[in-house]
Amino acid sequence: MSLPVRNPLVSKNFRDFFSLALAALFAVSVIGVGVCADATRSRILAPPGRPPHQTAPAADVTFNRDIAPIVFHFCAPCHRPGEAGPFPLLTYDDARAHARQIVAVTQRRYMPPWLPEQTDFPFAGELRLTAEQIAMFRAWYEEGEPKGDAKDLPPAPKFIAGWQLGKPDVTLQATKPFLLPAGGTDAYWNFVLPLPLAETHWIKAVEIRPGNNRVVHHANLIVDRSDSARRQEPAPGDGFPGMELQIESEQFDPDGHFLFWKPGSLVTPEPATMALRLDPGNDLVLNTHLQPIGKAESVQPSVGLYFTSQAATQFPVLLQLECDKQLDIPPGEKNFVVRDQFTLPVGVELLQIYPHAHYLGKDMLATARLPSGEEKTLLHIARWDLNWQAVYRYAQAVELPAGTTIAMRYVYDNSRDNLANPHDPPQRVVAGNRASDEMAHLWLQVLPFGADGETSGAAGDAARRSLEEALARHHIANNPDDFAAHYNLAALLQMRGETPEAAAQFAEAQRLRPGDSTVENAYGAALLAMGQLPEAVEHLTAAVHARPDYFDARYNLGLALARHEDFRLAAEEFRAAARLNPNDSNAEANWGGALAAAGDLPEAKTHLERALLLDPKNAMARENLDQVLQDIPH
Amino acid sequence: MLLAMIAALCAPGRSTLGQSAASQKDASAAAQDQNHVAGASAAEDPWARIPGKVVVLIFVRTDCPIANRYAPEISRLQAAHATDAAFWLVYADKRETAEAIRKHDREYQLTLPVLRDPQRALAKRAQVSVTPEAAVFDVRGHLVYHGRIDNWFEDFGRARPAPTTHELADAIVAAVSGHPATLPSVPAVGCFLSDLS
Repeated sequence: MSLPVRNPLVSKNFRDFFSLALAALFAVSVIGVGVCADATRSRILAPPGRPPHQTAPAADVTFNRDIAPIVFHFCAPCHRPGEAGPFPLLTYDDARAHARQIVAVTQRRYMPPWLPEQTDFPFAGELRLTAEQIAMFRAWYEEGEPKGDAKDLPPAPKFIAGWQLGKPDVTLQATKPFLLPAGGTDAYWNFVLPLPLAETHWIKAVEIRPGNNRVVHHANLIVDRSDSARRQEPAPGDGFPGMELQIESEQFDPDGHFLFWKPGSLVTPEPATMALRLDPGNDLVLNTHLQPIGKAESVQPSVGLYFTSQAATQFPVLLQLECDKQLDIPPGEKNFVVRDQFTLPVGVELLQIYPHAHYLGKDMLATARLPSGEEKTLLHIARWDLNWQAVYRYAQAVELPAGTTIAMRYVYDNSRDNLANPHDPPQRVVAGNRASDEMAHLWLQVLPFGADGETSGAAGDAARRSLEEALARHHIANNPDDFAAHYNLAALLQMRGETPEAAAQFAEAQRLRPGDSTVENAYGAALLAMGQLPEAVEHLTAAVHARPDYFDARYNLGLALARHEDFRLAAEEFRAAARLNPNDSNAEANWGGALAAAGDLPEAKTHLERALLLDPKNAMARENLDQVLQDIPH
Repeated sequence: MLLAMIAALCAPGRSTLGQSAASQKDASAAAQDQNHVAGASAAEDPWARIPGKVVVLIFVRTDCPIANRYAPEISRLQAAHATDAAFWLVYADKRETAEAIRKHDREYQLTLPVLRDPQRALAKRAQVSVTPEAAVFDVRGHLVYHGRIDNWFEDFGRARPAPTTHELADAIVAAVSGHPATLPSVPAVGCFLSDLS
């Protein structure tokens, strides 16, 4: 699995205006304001009905009439040339050459790969065979694999070659292929794909092409807005290993999207109202699970992006339940149970669900207890298999009213009976990122809605923030050392203007990661807003020390020093900021302002003029320049 | 009798029963393929080739995913026991052409000499029923083991990260040391030979 650390780490644009009069205002940008849009919701009390099962197999089962429709629908999407299936299943001869194998793998429900049991809400694209269909395969095999009447054969399935959604607006390809050895254990590799975009784009669809469908078992695409993955590469384009990918976003825009690929999956774009924003400088990171097939293989994925001119108006949230702290599984334990539960402060539409554990996972259950007391099953996997993990999209959005309690219950098997056990003999296992560690995560993609049912606009924003805050508090209660939760809560409090409370949470985050440039900057900025200047300078200095090319930290340190009336030092920081971002009018303006305050009027004039060149509407630069021009002796 | 039905790919310039013109061409193409130039005139007879040696047959097909995942292990076993045992890779699907087999072996870096067993006469003698499955014959040509290579796969979709028992290697060692007893057969997991017409 690989998703941003919980909900994307929230942080604000901590930069600020600085005038000669040192009048600072702390800008907070507003997220996602837009028009409302309709969304299909299924009422939770009336889950959609299922089509009746097919009737019991007829006495004489034939390929053309009975088997071909099942094979074409369930098998052929992967069992065809170029796809993941190791042999084609497109014709009578193909099916016959594997008939007994088909009977064996369908009876064991190994094929087609589909983990969820049938519960209250159906998923899109379910690959679950009915008992009747499985019996049909067996009957066909036992009857000697009759072909049947040619006129019964349905048309061969049609597949789109190449990009399923047509030519992408932009295609990215991994610079270097990853070479998967012929044998050995599974590999987990991350490819970093820099965006070749000069301006912000809204993305209505993303198509992932793993580059080698035979060996890629699944892939997750993550947006990295903070160069976090890039810094893990030995050299640009190299990629890096790792089963779990942690991307910490410093921007507060809800990246509540699953961008997931598994063999045979169809590209299902999200509604246009939920487009994904990509900015220049963002990276896309593809986290892949690769399984050796007996010969060495090269994997070089590509990603296609499809633009839309419509900005998003609905912002889903990835709601995470987790029990990692409870994971301390003794060797030999067959039924180790962990649980977490979370009560929704607002109503949500549940769109997709993604369960995640490693090799010891056995049984996974996700339920929703409604305010009425009624309990519904959101997901049940009775036989977890990491190899076939997937994101499941509900056939229709499931509405969960405010007050619903979502619960997860995972069971782990750390005995020898679990063949996938990475340790032999079994060993104590705790939570961690390695394949031999464990995890207990459940992600739900939800669209929060306000009291009026609106998922967009101000009501949607307020509902989302309320949900984010409840989640952060839930995670802190689960784990007081949860860095991301403290950080997110702090940022949410800061957005509400509760700066002292925000600073207290930033202090907790800073305690957990002292010297981390992001948190030192955020904490310093909060202290600056509270007027605690020496402390602000201390933490902002730590941020700059940790990351000398961190524009926001340089800028904020400049502000703190200026407010502390260390104008010479302030000017140095603004100079550094302006060098890092030469097109930033405010950095130039503040540089000029600090120089002016330090008495260097001719230099100040140069930078204030440059600030106005960059942004003629920069009122503070204009005001300060006028003042400087008056003050310069003629 | 039996061996006449086996179409060998390994030796240059040899014709076997039932070979088409195309496969004769394949056989001469095979001569250029160092991997398959065995240099023995009786290459189609695993027992005649190097008399007095333990013989190991490993049954595979080009499109069996489990057999393919075993390719590195098959090569490793052959390298480890090459001085004591003669290894043969046996392709049991008559639809698989010599050309396809050679391509497959190049891709999977399999350098074992290859036999085709389109009538599954060898499979019958070796008492195997799936791919990949192995058979070990002692120096007198008696079948002393047939079954799985190791316990990597327990069932479809149920595999260990690495095997913990090594039945084939144990059987080879036992046969080489002249161990008299026949080892119990352990069923293999893979693709059924009975699916082949």
